[in-house]
Amino acid sequence: MTLFERVFGGNDAVYGLTEAAIDNAIATYGEGQAVSFPDTAYSLPCYYAVTGVKVNTLGELKAALGVVKSLMTRAPRLHDAFMSGVATALCAEFIEVLKYINGATPYELPCYGHITDAFVRNLGVPLVTGDIPGVAVILGSAPTADEAVELVKSYQSQGILVTLVGGVIDQLQEKGYKTGDNVRVVPLGMDVTSVIHVVSVALRAALIFGNITPGDAGNLMKYTMERVPAFVNAFKPLDDVIVACGAGAIALGFPVVTNETENIFRVPKSLIVQEDVSKFNATSLEARDIKIKITKIDIPVSFASAFEGEIIRRGDMQVEIDGSRVDCFELVSTKEANEIEDHKIVVEGPELDEIPVGSKISLSYTVEVAGKAMQTDFESVMERKFHSYLNCVEGLMHTGQRDMIRIRISKADFEAGFRFKHIGEVLYAKIKSEFEAVVDKCQVKIVVDAEKNAELRKKANEVFAKRDDRLRSMTDESVPVYYTCIMCQAFSPSHVCIVTPERLGLCGAVSWLDAKATNELDPAGPCQVVPKERCIDEELGRYEDVDEAVFKYSHGALEHITLYSLFQDPMTSCGCFECICGVEPVSMGVVITTREHAGMTPLGMSFSEMASMTGGGVQTPGFMGHGKQFISSKKFLKAEGGLGRIVWMPKDLKDQVRERLDAAAKEIYGVEGFTDMIADETICTEDPEQLLGYLSEVGHPVLSMEPFDM
Amino acid sequence: MKDWDRLITVEEMEAATASLLENGSKVGADSWQQRVKNQTPHCGFGESGTCCRICSMGPCRITKKAPRGICGCDVHGIVARNFLKFTAGGSATHSDHGREIMHTLHETREGGNYTVKDPEKLIRIAKEWGVETEGKDIYDLAHEMAEVGLMEYGKPFGTQKFLKRAPQHTQDLWAAAGLEPRAIDREVSQSLHMTHMGCSSMPEALIHQALRAGLSDGWGGSMMGTEFSDVLFGTPKPLDTTANIGVMEQDMVNIIVHGHDPSLSEMIVYYANDPEMIALAKSVGAKGINIAGVCCTANEVAMRHGIPMAGNFLSQENVVLTGACEAIVVDVQCIFPALGPLSKCFHTKFITTSPIARIPDSEFIQFSAETAGENAKAIVRAAVENFKNRRPELVNIPQQKTKARVGYSVEAIIKVLDGVANTQVDTMGTTKPLLECVTSGVLRGAVAMVGCNNPKVRPDYAHIELMKKLLENDIILIVSGCSAQAAAKAGLMDPEMAKEYCGAGLKRVCELAGIPPVLHMGSCVDISRMLILASELSKDSGLPISALPVVGCAPEWMSEKAVSIGNYVVATGLDTFLGVDPYVKGSSEVCDWLTGENGVKKWVEASYVVETDIEKLGDLMIERIEAKRAALGI
Repeated sequence: MTLFERVFGGNDAVYGLTEAAIDNAIATYGEGQAVSFPDTAYSLPCYYAVTGVKVNTLGELKAALGVVKSLMTRAPRLHDAFMSGVATALCAEFIEVLKYINGATPYELPCYGHITDAFVRNLGVPLVTGDIPGVAVILGSAPTADEAVELVKSYQSQGILVTLVGGVIDQLQEKGYKTGDNVRVVPLGMDVTSVIHVVSVALRAALIFGNITPGDAGNLMKYTMERVPAFVNAFKPLDDVIVACGAGAIALGFPVVTNETENIFRVPKSLIVQEDVSKFNATSLEARDIKIKITKIDIPVSFASAFEGEIIRRGDMQVEIDGSRVDCFELVSTKEANEIEDHKIVVEGPELDEIPVGSKISLSYTVEVAGKAMQTDFESVMERKFHSYLNCVEGLMHTGQRDMIRIRISKADFEAGFRFKHIGEVLYAKIKSEFEAVVDKCQVKIVVDAEKNAELRKKANEVFAKRDDRLRSMTDESVPVYYTCIMCQAFSPSHVCIVTPERLGLCGAVSWLDAKATNELDPAGPCQVVPKERCIDEELGRYEDVDEAVFKYSHGALEHITLYSLFQDPMTSCGCFECICGVEPVSMGVVITTREHAGMTPLGMSFSEMASMTGGGVQTPGFMGHGKQFISSKKFLKAEGGLGRIVWMPKDLKDQVRERLDAAAKEIYGVEGFTDMIADETICTEDPEQLLGYLSEVGHPVLSMEPFDM
Repeated sequence: MKDWDRLITVEEMEAATASLLENGSKVGADSWQQRVKNQTPHCGFGESGTCCRICSMGPCRITKKAPRGICGCDVHGIVARNFLKFTAGGSATHSDHGREIMHTLHETREGGNYTVKDPEKLIRIAKEWGVETEGKDIYDLAHEMAEVGLMEYGKPFGTQKFLKRAPQHTQDLWAAAGLEPRAIDREVSQSLHMTHMGCSSMPEALIHQALRAGLSDGWGGSMMGTEFSDVLFGTPKPLDTTANIGVMEQDMVNIIVHGHDPSLSEMIVYYANDPEMIALAKSVGAKGINIAGVCCTANEVAMRHGIPMAGNFLSQENVVLTGACEAIVVDVQCIFPALGPLSKCFHTKFITTSPIARIPDSEFIQFSAETAGENAKAIVRAAVENFKNRRPELVNIPQQKTKARVGYSVEAIIKVLDGVANTQVDTMGTTKPLLECVTSGVLRGAVAMVGCNNPKVRPDYAHIELMKKLLENDIILIVSGCSAQAAAKAGLMDPEMAKEYCGAGLKRVCELAGIPPVLHMGSCVDISRMLILASELSKDSGLPISALPVVGCAPEWMSEKAVSIGNYVVATGLDTFLGVDPYVKGSSEVCDWLTGENGVKKWVEASYVVETDIEKLGDLMIERIEAKRAALGI
């Protein structure tokens, strides 16, 4: 049998099952029964992405199956095999969506089933930065459970997001291996059709970040092939159905590596037979051209971005460093070169093995750096990275910043030989490798002495206070230049962020100082200087220089943007924004919601639905993605009257921005307690009239503002 | 949008030609288009191969009433004799080109006009031929190899050295059928001996010799021409260049190199970059010197230096008709004598350089290996000084220009394939990735498309339309000669543009490998590269060449060389599809020998297909490829 005949056979089999399942469902529920996946604005994301049509009911699903059938042509050409692969994937999606019918919750942990839009958006930044260098899809059962664990672990240690389908899930369970999105190992489901849930992630990435028009299948497949670094590992035996699914994966540009040798054909860079499972990792990475940034750090436990989200529970912890109870802090301090001995790591006070299990201790670490190109402005940029660096240590959890840090070190780490000095090793290695352009020498001082730390903390706080003063004094007017950030162009080729002191990147991860440091570190990199000499309109934040930069770096896709307006050429979004704001027409205010908030807003739209209005580098007046910090900026919606326009935010977000938002509102409008005037989900969810009632009740400043000039 | 951001159609090229002919009409120029009209209809006896004029008793023409010549030879003997003579002409021509290259190799010296640019390749071939390389100066080795190579032309005993490169199965077939070519000159001489009055009149024997003479070209003279051109001038690697008439520059001195032997064009290219010459060009008001090529000389310099390709065989008058050609410099083969009178209508200098190709109304500057530098400089100087004689009112350069990636020697193709192999699984340096694409069905097969232009076929149309049809069907093309230039002129060698014309399989292959779907393998002698590639595919797959879903095609062929090529391609095991009849339709027996199941196919497992309907020719190739796949169960 030829390879294409196997694909066609597998496709026919799945089609038959799908048809029966839909007919069955119609017989039970009727054609009018609604079908949908939870927490997505993209209907049946794969079908929607490929055809541009949203399916809402069983009747429509039946009609959609007719469209799928039309893809199933049978000429002996790769086009037909690819389309049959796509058809197989769409059938899988139909079968999966039927599992969710009538509000069912078909998946239980450890399996995830359908993946939410918020999860997809969260992937944006780490995929762009290479923090997640790839996405592995592992299907079937490894020859042994140990080999399954080894393979998953190998990807995890490289930061690769691992998704699992079928027997491998049981194999990990059997070995007690931790899974979950926080450790980047996501079991999808036991049925082969559940693989569609990761395909759905890839296709939504194309819609969200790539601004691919739903239904533009050609560009959709080009996007996934060029920009989504996914690949498949399929364990033998491969039946025709899996071969047909494989054709779909390859159509999207995702190579399939298998240990199957029976009745299989090899295709370079696409279908690769690797009999040795221990080489699946290396074979897959080479096939998908994934390069792993190697950080070799001399510590006794693993170090990988996959461990960033790991949680250490009280019972598992050896000691806790708790800045909320005792004196702790972390600090970067610039010194003269002669004051530093490179790679010196000092621990003053007892080491970890001299401290009783379960203690809460006082600990500080100061990273001292020197370099000809070092600037004190970069200190905070480096310091913000500590959180990520230390969390990459397996078995270590870090939260907070400055003098409010909390670190838990697990018992397992202690037993593996992990000591305080290894914190120094991690910080030293990462600072030296990531900031090599500015840091020539680096040493780390760790102090485990409560008395001494009380003294040192005071000094550190002086430094922090000074930095805050500088940050506060730094406004869009006070700096000589702005910066671009086009880090996201790997995924969103026509989006450009313009980063100013008062408007950080919409992902929330790139402040003006970060952009400045990035520019220093890599002058040809994603952050380029944008002069601000030719201002056209100060109120809108419109500059000739900015327009030129946007035109150049969007490759001609955008001609104008404003920095401070929601209606006049608003800044575009890549898709990985922290927040999105949209016009609420009844109150003439704006609603802001965040990725974390799953519920509805008074616009009658969830975050996903609002987010789908923009992203991918397009301008949608009235909708704008932005970072959380921008909310309390005096420049937020400046052209439309400022932050007083905010009428609704999720409660959690209000709490996060309250302090600075209140201060800014007081300064601009002379209003006290502005944050409380903003409605949230406890006040109203979907009803604009209810919202308006609340605003009148509290005397919200928006009520005295002019209507929007839409 | 740039001019080349799309394919240039045959219609657009024809419109450009029409505007050039209008230019010509202003100065009373003749054209091949006119001469075709004058020559039509062609002689029916000549076309069917049934006219015999090898002795002075005739000429004899075979008709129903006069079924035999005066000597008693029947139509089959006459047609077969003519076919063999035609082949011998082609074999002699290609092989003599190879011989010239061997003489040039013999002239190499450190710092000389000619040097060894690819010493590794020289050593590799020396080892293959059993010539000692250890501790030998590279130039001593070059001279020794030149002598050994030249002996292949006249050695009294033994067969061609390069035959050992073929898969064992092919070698066995040749041995069994007695087809192994002996000395190259001997095969040509014997062909002419056999066709002398009163010698062979049996089609089987004549066609047998035609295959052997062809093989002496493909696996002898042509292969030496290719391999030692690589040694002398460098083995081609992928390079980006441009093609079509728009590569001629309005404000530069345009020198067109035309012909086949790279020894001349290499030197011209070198001196056109000479600062003294560039300064001279500026002093006469030009912005610089632009070299562009026509015919296989263009292929040679495009493959090695990225020199733009102005056009193919039937474009040779067009370059002069632009009124912007300061000199057209020619060496050997495929040069229209018409260039003489045509150049007189413009300011163009028509410079002939080889005693083999002496043409009236040309300036003859004899080019030899010893004086190549001076000769080339004199030619470039003459062209530059001619810039001032340009008549601005006659300048018309149609703005048609495409991008092309060229330079796919076998070595370069293997390197590309290594790029898509996986080091965790595959061995490097093989054709296996290509075979995997074929066995899996991603690619359906390959067509080696070669050959000339011929007014009997709408020029370039057959090449381009067939290629598009094949690409659509996931069939990859390897091309050379004027076929390669047709592809380049249309834009089919632009990796970005051309992939849009491919089926999903070929498109994916092009994207993953970073190649255009039509791979430029070189000039017409470089068809020997295709033989090596086919041999490697056979060895790496363990299948006979004839079992591979690969065929040859010459849709617009016209020269004797093309028949010689056809014979060696068929004799190597590749079915060959012709769009023009090789003057054999007058004999059913000869047709059966060439195209039937019981003819040459018995010896070499392959045969000819002749189909003058181009649409059908394409369908037949696809059918044949699919039939070969079915036979393999893939």
